[in-house]
Amino acid sequence: MTGRIHVDFDATEGALLRLVGLVERRGFTVGGLAMHAADGRGALSLDIAARDPGRRLEVVAAQLRRLVEVRNVAILPPEPGAP
Amino acid sequence: MGPVTGARMVVEALEREGVRHVFGYPGGAIMPVYDALPGSSLQHILVRHEQAAALAADAYGRVTGQPGVCIATSGPGATNLVTGIANAFLDSAPLVAITGQVATPLIGTDAFQEVDIFGITLPIVKHSFVVRRTEDIPQVFADAFHIARSGRPGPVLIDLPKDVGMKAALPAEPRVPEEEPSAPDAALIEQANRLIAQARAPILYFGGGIAIARAERALREFAARSGIPSVATLKGLGGIPTDDEGFLGMLGMHGLRAANIAIDQCDLLICVGARFDDRATGKPDTFAPNAEVIHLDGDPAEVGKLRRADVGIAGNIEILLDALDAVPDAAVWRQRCLRQKKMWAPAYDAPGNGVYAPALLKRLSEAAPENTIFTCDVGQHQMWVAQHCRFSRPQAHLTSAGLGTMGYGIPAGIGALLADPSATVITVSGDGSIMMNVQELATLRRYRLPLKILLLDNAQLGMVRQWQELFFDENFSEIDLSDNPDFAEVARAFGIEAFTIDHRSEVEGAVARLLRTPGPILCHARIDPRENVWPLVPPNKANVEMLEKAR
Repeated sequence: MTGRIHVDFDATEGALLRLVGLVERRGFTVGGLAMHAADGRGALSLDIAARDPGRRLEVVAAQLRRLVEVRNVAILPPEPGAP
Repeated sequence: MGPVTGARMVVEALEREGVRHVFGYPGGAIMPVYDALPGSSLQHILVRHEQAAALAADAYGRVTGQPGVCIATSGPGATNLVTGIANAFLDSAPLVAITGQVATPLIGTDAFQEVDIFGITLPIVKHSFVVRRTEDIPQVFADAFHIARSGRPGPVLIDLPKDVGMKAALPAEPRVPEEEPSAPDAALIEQANRLIAQARAPILYFGGGIAIARAERALREFAARSGIPSVATLKGLGGIPTDDEGFLGMLGMHGLRAANIAIDQCDLLICVGARFDDRATGKPDTFAPNAEVIHLDGDPAEVGKLRRADVGIAGNIEILLDALDAVPDAAVWRQRCLRQKKMWAPAYDAPGNGVYAPALLKRLSEAAPENTIFTCDVGQHQMWVAQHCRFSRPQAHLTSAGLGTMGYGIPAGIGALLADPSATVITVSGDGSIMMNVQELATLRRYRLPLKILLLDNAQLGMVRQWQELFFDENFSEIDLSDNPDFAEVARAFGIEAFTIDHRSEVEGAVARLLRTPGPILCHARIDPRENVWPLVPPNKANVEMLEKAR
């Protein structure tokens, strides 16, 4: 399963590590990453692919929403050409 | 108020949170905090290894429902906390871990006793902070305690650079985050009630979420009014009293056959505060294969994670259970479940004259007072405790369920005794596990904590030996512990009363001595090294394919 996840978050110390680390630990590879941060807020888009077919985007999105610094998570269609 | 040091702010923040005990071990980078401790209202419990501080704080948090607190210095002090932090994360225990860090200008320079504990613990904390400014300390601590205890609890790390603790600043009054009340989704509740009303063979499957939500009353009332038989995970034990008629037992790998059969045959599975963990479900596609699923949990991320729910509702478990008022026509099914329970009840008439661990634990549990808390280590004895002891509340059973931490038992006993001094606390350990934190006997002695330790000694790593026997062609590899020390002598060297038993005839006297001795005491019981934990679901098998002891 592949897809793009967009995360709005509070850009506190370690937030990016926490977000990307969670996605990788929960069974996805990150093929593309775009981030912007300003005034304490961050926006992160990740193109991700599941390592095995049992992993679902909805599950990792819910796990991202659990993080304290995460404000919003949206699952978007993958960009053309993304892994 | 004038400027105060960061370390003073730390102590005042802990006092503001109502903390009474902190578990820790001093060292270089955390010295400013230890300098501020004397004269405070906090009682510091000096453990003999930082891992024990984290594990004791974990247990303290489980008993009180408020975050336990552990403190360590930077570098090895911090890394020694890691197992305890992971333990709290896997079992959703509220914990605040405070680590000293090298001074801010030295961070990232490979300074003496510098490790990136913030980075090391990222996968095993609910949240974490590096305190960069002294004036932020009150707010960081208020946030940390709120995060640790709210929603699905968990560990929060606060890494405090030495200079931040030493510098003085004007403390600001922290803002206390407000809890957001949640109302259940009426449409989902209606769907759930409809499934319950239609069911003819429903099962209630509950887990550690009951203890977290303190939802025993709601759970018991739901089970009583619906008449639905129940099973529990390892962490759920005690949510419904284990001697309740409709409680079928623990499910899963070492569960009771009646519980696993009921799950296999049910047409509706009502999962409450549990997460379809692999130890509970066995081969996932064979778990409750014909059942529709209602999943209630405090954590939205758990609903539907491993098993699709026909009705999934995240929210306050107590409120959700109270809203489920449908009653199924399931009296025939209930009687069938109860017959299975009777048929597959554990037997205690093992041959021979040696100490039979399940019988000893059953007897100890029966003789122990109602307010008893059992803590245990990890291995065969842990499963025997779960199978053969009685629990009338979830907090009566403190076990390292998710991480499976050998060495949890004694530190957890210390934490439980300080959290609830009125309780009788019994630690059941094994000869492998006890050596993982045996140094904490010194902590028991120092604080005169009346922990009762039952050490089941089979001179082996019993659970590993069992698996090698059953699933690795009896290729016994590195499980022999026959050169163990004399554990009673070890305990006495720490100033702890101790005795050894070898025969079944000594059990009654041992139980009485354990329970009547006012101070800490260790009973060293030698047991049969060939004894296995039964029943057992082999790896990659369905729960109903579980193996039984020859009867």
